[in-house]
This record gives sequence, structure tokens and C-alpha cells, in this order.
Amino acid sequence: MSTRSRLLLCVAGLGALHLGVACAGFFAPYDPTAQDREHPYAPPMPLHFVDARGGFHLLPFFYAQELQAGTFDQYEENRSRAIPVEFFVSGAPYHVLGVFPLRIHLLGGGDVQMYLLGSDGYGRDLLSRILFGGQVSLLAGLIGAGLTLSIGLCIGTVAGFWGGWKDEVLMRVAELFLALPWIYLLFAMRAFLPLTVPPLKAFLLVVIVIAAVGWARPARMVRGIVLSAKERDFVRSARGFGASDAYLLRRHIVPETASVVLTQAAILVPQFVLAEMTLSFLGLGVPEPVASWGNMLSSLQHYNVLVSYWWMYLPALAMVPFFLGYLLLESLLQGSYATSKIE
Amino acid sequence: MTRFLLRRIAHAVFLLFGVSVLAFFFTTFAPGNYFDDMRLNPQISAERLTALRADYQLDRPMVVRYLRWARSVLHGDLGLSFAYNTAVGPLLWTRARNTLLLTGTATVLTWMLALPLGVWSAEKLGRPADVALSWATAVLLIIPDLTLALGLLVLAVRSGWLPTGGLVSVGFGGFSAAHRVRDVAWHMVLPVTVLVASALPVLLRHVRAAVAEALEAPFLRAAEGHGISRGRLLYRYVLPAAAHPLIALFGFSLGTLLSASLLVEVVMSWPGLGPFLLEAILARDLYVVIGGVLLSTLFLVAGNFVADLLLFWVDPRIRAEASRR
Amino acid sequence: MEPIIRVEDLVKRHTRRGLWSRVADFTAVNSISFSILPGTTLALVGESGSGKSSLALCLAGLERVASGRIWFEGRDLAALGEKELREVRPRIQLVFQDPANSLNPRWTVEEIVAEPLLVQNRVSRREGDARAAQALERVGLAAEYLDRRARDLSGGQRQRVAIARALILEPKLLILDEVLSALDCSIQAQIANLLVEMQRAYGLAYLFITHDLRMAAHLADEIAVMSEGKIVEQGAAKILQGLRRSEMRSLVGASPLKPETLGEVSQR
Repeated sequence: MSTRSRLLLCVAGLGALHLGVACAGFFAPYDPTAQDREHPYAPPMPLHFVDARGGFHLLPFFYAQELQAGTFDQYEENRSRAIPVEFFVSGAPYHVLGVFPLRIHLLGGGDVQMYLLGSDGYGRDLLSRILFGGQVSLLAGLIGAGLTLSIGLCIGTVAGFWGGWKDEVLMRVAELFLALPWIYLLFAMRAFLPLTVPPLKAFLLVVIVIAAVGWARPARMVRGIVLSAKERDFVRSARGFGASDAYLLRRHIVPETASVVLTQAAILVPQFVLAEMTLSFLGLGVPEPVASWGNMLSSLQHYNVLVSYWWMYLPALAMVPFFLGYLLLESLLQGSYATSKIE
Repeated sequence: MTRFLLRRIAHAVFLLFGVSVLAFFFTTFAPGNYFDDMRLNPQISAERLTALRADYQLDRPMVVRYLRWARSVLHGDLGLSFAYNTAVGPLLWTRARNTLLLTGTATVLTWMLALPLGVWSAEKLGRPADVALSWATAVLLIIPDLTLALGLLVLAVRSGWLPTGGLVSVGFGGFSAAHRVRDVAWHMVLPVTVLVASALPVLLRHVRAAVAEALEAPFLRAAEGHGISRGRLLYRYVLPAAAHPLIALFGFSLGTLLSASLLVEVVMSWPGLGPFLLEAILARDLYVVIGGVLLSTLFLVAGNFVADLLLFWVDPRIRAEASRR
Repeated sequence: MEPIIRVEDLVKRHTRRGLWSRVADFTAVNSISFSILPGTTLALVGESGSGKSSLALCLAGLERVASGRIWFEGRDLAALGEKELREVRPRIQLVFQDPANSLNPRWTVEEIVAEPLLVQNRVSRREGDARAAQALERVGLAAEYLDRRARDLSGGQRQRVAIARALILEPKLLILDEVLSALDCSIQAQIANLLVEMQRAYGLAYLFITHDLRMAAHLADEIAVMSEGKIVEQGAAKILQGLRRSEMRSLVGASPLKPETLGEVSQR
């Protein structure tokens, strides 16, 4: 398979994953903030195809889970009633892109709570929270990466194209940022901003902090490209026809940076998603009740959760297919740029 | 040679200075300070708070505070911790020692694994063994360290094989020396595994790439033609040629000795620098934060410096360039 | 007849400046004077490092001169500001040595050849493309090349594109900086002939910069020999044209030129 088709396949795969998370409302059976105090820490429900009497069903079904009398976290299945999994049900309302209200969900359990991946301490469905949490974490990573790359592109271009004292000053500042251990910088920057803020503001703060930490490396790389592009004869020729600086930048120099910017994007997005997860895990990121993969994991810091409720670990695995996709994308991009340079 | 060294040292000093200014800047303009929580306590009067603040000189302008702090640092005094009411230096150092124990072990292990594996893998480039190893590395690479750390913790808890956090077990004081060593080592297994698992794939890839490239060099064929043995070839000819990128990586390994393990330490309750600094940041314990950040930066800068020195020593081209200037 | 361009005592210095290191001065062009009559070719011969390319860049307005005058159309180019220079630029064009570098490899031939027109804001997109097609025809490339990307062309084809681009603004003076050196021997002759054809058709003046004395003798009306920033010999090319190879060799031997300057062609 040629590199180009591999690249397209990879982008398609990643796109599908992102689409799945973007349509969290559809794929999630429930509202992520809907609590059910009667079923805290319910384990994942197995789906059955064969019922208690040995009959085979084409479509899967499940049994309601009820708390055993006298316990607060031991569940047993109520096998008296087989509840079929319903498809395309009407459920809790959600908004696509924050605008269009819809009620249709892919899966549902009728009047009984269906905890496919279990529930957390407040009885909230983990599957739904993972999907909606993905929206927050991925969005943080994508917006953060976009911001950082924009800043890096601007600074790198200014430093590389005009040189002189602007270059010296900007690169020294970049060096400072690179000299700081980024994880400490991340925490310090976040922690030194107000700690208790409403979720939206917290999200924005997280994104801005992550973006502010990561601009130095892309800026240096862009600067390198701009420096070498500036000296190419086709740029000189264009100047020879009377082209202005703005024209040269727009038509010749900035397009040269595309390869670097794209590969950096593939590297940075997963890193930034991880940064958001880390911040939220430590309580410095997106706060409750909004779900993010990070803050869903913070309950694991409690020993009893760690011991008894293993399904609370699942949000940590949600990131893995995305990591895989982005890593593959990055290596494919690098491969395709390497071969095109040979031409 | 000395001019090269001096330039590098001046550069490092400049970086440290810049970082300390940045840190001071951030902490000054952050909303809130250590005494905010105290304000909520009705037993402490407002005048008492102002007096406390004046005691710690928090009411002076930033430049004045910075200069006083810089002066005391040059005398070896990193300031006072508000929360613990003791000098910052010793506090940081006790914690940093624990971190270094962890990261030092992890770094040594990582390099001890990556070098031979990388060389072997580069030799068998493209063959099934190499491909298998590449796949295994890729799998490790995809798993983020948060996932890995938490996952191993869950496993440890459910299986009961390994201690689930902390540095020592209960009753440590009464253990014999040998038992103590064993106890600490046992507690180190999980965090070190996570650290090695996150660092190894990256390093292995780089070693493999650098050695593979060095193996392509024509001078190697010539040496082979002379009948030099495989082992000698590898270690006297190939490794030095591949050394350049590896030394930079080594410098980076050294540099991140204090900062790489923050997450792992928090997850596994290891009493290192990471959790301590986190706590200080949340409590706005000013001088602890600045001291800690400076210490980590010092390591980063020192790591790069050592790498530069090593490169200078190993790569004759750099020596020539430096002496020309 | 008035020369189309007259250079007087041109001096060009390269300075290397670092933040803390010393300023290094290197005089690339050390007080050069010459002139070119319209419709004729002046060949500037010298080895690498003699300052030829620096001179070319100065004449094309791409580098600032330290001192001296460049008289073109009654004005001193060296004294003009950027705005006024922009107005003059179309009439002096520079063709570079390596077309792999002087053409943006990602662009199509059409975009490349039409670029000068668009930069000078003279025409609409559509008219620019039409003029580009005409320009290609003039240099002997079929219209099908318009949609090809520069990186997919051969060296000779690329150089033709570069020449087409240089001619599209209808210049009076063309500075050709080692335009044949990057090409294969057989292609060199083709491009050389193309240049002669263009000169005859459009009355262009050429400053033909080369290290190949034989090619210079073949193409030029006047030859100037440059060495270490100065012109050391100047004369009509006719003198060299009747010489046999051995005589040219001894001529080269007597001058500061290296024997390789006799030209790769002679090595066949």
C-alpha cells in the first residue's frame, strides 16, 4: 500500500474515532450528569445472548442489577426479567454542536438503567461519561495544539524572516521556556491562576495554560524553515520582480512550513490531551460535574476505589486508540515528507 | 577549550537567572497567597495577618523581594517555607533524594536495556526479531504513562503481590538494615517499572536509528574488510559514530531526573519532590515553589551542559569549531 | 550609442555580524566599472569566489552596494529607494544558476511564469495565464507543460521555464548568472542557442556570467575577466574566436584564470 493511501486510511480512522466522540450524545445511552443514588459503583453489566432457560436470542439482553440487602456495593443480577437492549431509543436530550436538540440514542435499556461499563459513586453511567468526557479532553488537546502552533508559527516566522534583535530576543525567551521542566511549568501556571472557577472558565484556563507552555519548540522549528526558505533563489527571484515581504511570506515562505506544522500537530495533540488529563486528575483541570477523562480517574486515588471498583480505571484506556492513531499519523507524515524531499 | 566552557557556563547561569525571574513573576501576580486560608479563621485577627505578612516581607515590591532572595540564594539560603516553618533547602533536598533514588534507578535500567537491545535490533534490521521488538516498543509507546501507572496500581492492589504505594512499610523503623533495603526496593518496583516502560520505547528507537545509520557508513565496510572482529567493530567504531544523538539524549535523561517522575510519584504516593511541590503550589508556599522549580531547572541545565561537554570530548568536529572561534 | 547600463566604481562588502563577536569585512566587489551596449552581450568570466554573483545580485537590486553608481535609464539604481526600484525592476531581470532552486518546486509552470505579472499587478489571473502560455512557446516548450509541477521537469526544461519567466516582463537587460553550469553538456548548447535567438528577436542586452571561457567566447561581444573582486582584463571577444585550443590554453595560462576555466567542453 502506498504511503498516500496509508495516510488517508489513518486519517479516516482517526476521523471516525473523533466523530464517535463528537456524537457522544447519540452513542451514549444516558446523560453524563444524571445520577442514580440507588446504584452507586455498579459493576459493568454483561450482555447475554442465552437466557436462563437456555433459549437463544438474536439481540443481546441484560438483567437489572440490584443491591444485595444489607450491602452498599454488592450487586446481583435479577434473573427474573430479561431486558432486551433497545436500539435507536428516545432518551435524555442532548445538543449536537451545542445547537440542535436531539433525543435519539443508539442504545437504551428501557426503564431500567443499563450500565454497560458500570457506574461511579453517584450512579452515573460510565460509558456515557467516557464518551462525553472524551469531548472535553480531546477538545482541550485539539484547541491547545491549534493555539500553540499558531503562536509558534507567528513567532518563528517573525524571528526567522526579520532576524536581528527580534530574533535574538524571541529565541532567548523560547530557550527559557524550553529550559523549564514543562510539567512543573504547567502546574505552576495553572495553580497560580484562580483555583475554583466554573467549568467553562476552567476549561479555557487549562487550554490557554497548555498552549502557553508548548509554543517554544514549534517556534524554533518554524524559524529554521523560514531561515532556509528565505535564502532560496525562488524567493530572491520573486523579490526581483518587486514582490513585497507580505507576498513572499504568504505565497512562498509560510507554505514551506506546512510539513513541520502538520507533523508537530500530530505529536502535540495527544501530548496536550494527556496534559489535560493530568491536570484534571490532580484537581487542577476541569471540575465536577463536567466529565473529563482526567477527573474521572481522580477517584482512583482513593484506596477503596482502587481495590473494589476496577471499572473506574476504564477512562484511562479510552485514550489509547487515539494515541495509536496520532502516533501512526505522525510516522506516516514523516515518511511521506522524507520521500518527497528526495524528489 | 576554556572559552567554550565559559560560554556554556555563562549561558547556563543566564538561563537560571531568567527562570528565577519568571518564577518570581508568576508567583507574584498570582491571585491569592499563603495567608488567604488563614483569613478564614476567625481566631486570627486582620492585624495579626498583616503582621505575619510583613514578617515574611510579602508586602514589599517584587523587585526588592527578588533581590533579597537572589542575594540569600547566592549565600546558599533558599528562604523559608510558610507551611513547614523551616528552611526550604533541607526540605527540598530530603524529597529530592527520594526522587533521585527512583529516577536514577530507572534511568540506569533504561539505558542498560536500551543500548544492547538497540544495537542488536539495528544489526538484525528488518528481520523478524527486529520487527517483533518494534511492535512491542510501539505498544508501549501508545500507552500513556498515566494509564500505565494507574493500570499497574490496579493490578497490584487486586493481586496483592506488590505494595501499593509509599516508600516504606509500616514498622520500617524496627527493620534490620537488610530488611530495610529489601523493603524500599520492593516499594520501588512499581514506580520504576512505569518510568522505564515510558522511557524505554523512545530511547530504544533512537538507539536503533542511530546505530542503524552508523552501520551504513562506508568506513565500516572498510574496517570489516580489514578483518576486525564483530565485537571490536561495534564498540570501537559503530558506537562512537552513533554517539552524537545518543549523547544529546543522555543529557536529556540527566536533565529530567527531577521532573520526569512527578505523575508517577503522585499516583504511587512516593514521597518525592513532585508531590511535595504540587502541595506547595496549591498552598502558595512561595519560596518552596521557586526553590523547587529552580532546582529542577538546575538539573535540566546541568544535563544539557554535561551533554555538551561529552559531545565536545567525543566529537572532534565540535572541538575544531570551538577552537576556531 | 548609449550603453543600456553603466557601472561606475561599484563596491560591495559582506559583513558578518554577531551579537558578541567582531564584525568581519570581506570586499566581494572592489571598485568595478563597465558598460553594456543595447542588444549586445558582455561576458563576465572568473572562477568561483571572484565576486561575479555578488555583482549580479547588486545589479538586480537584490543587495545593497557599499558605494558606486549603476546608471540605468538615466537613473542611479544604487541610490533608489525600494518604491522607485520596484518600478525599474521589470526591465532588469536575473536568471539564476540552479533552476531546482530558483523555481518553487511545488508550483506549476503556469504559476511560475505568470508570477512576475501578478506581482507587478499588471494583469488579471486569466490574462496572466495566457501570457504565460505565449512565453512558454517562445522558449520552445509546448503548452502541455503549463500544468506540470516544476519538480517534475528536467534541468533543461526548468531553465527554459526560468528564462520564460524572466522574459515575461519584457526586460531590456538580462543578467544570466552561470545559467548553463548546472546543465548537461548537450543541453548547454540548446539553451545557449535559445539565448542567442531571444537576443536577436527582442534586442536584449545580456550580462553573461560564467567560468567557461570558451562559452563566453562563443556567445559574447565583449569579455571582461574578473578576479578577486576586480576586472583584470577586458576586450572584444573577436580576439578569442579565431584561436585554436592550444592558443587559448596559453592565453588562459597567462591570465589569473585557472586552466579549468577553459571549459568542460574542451575535456571531451
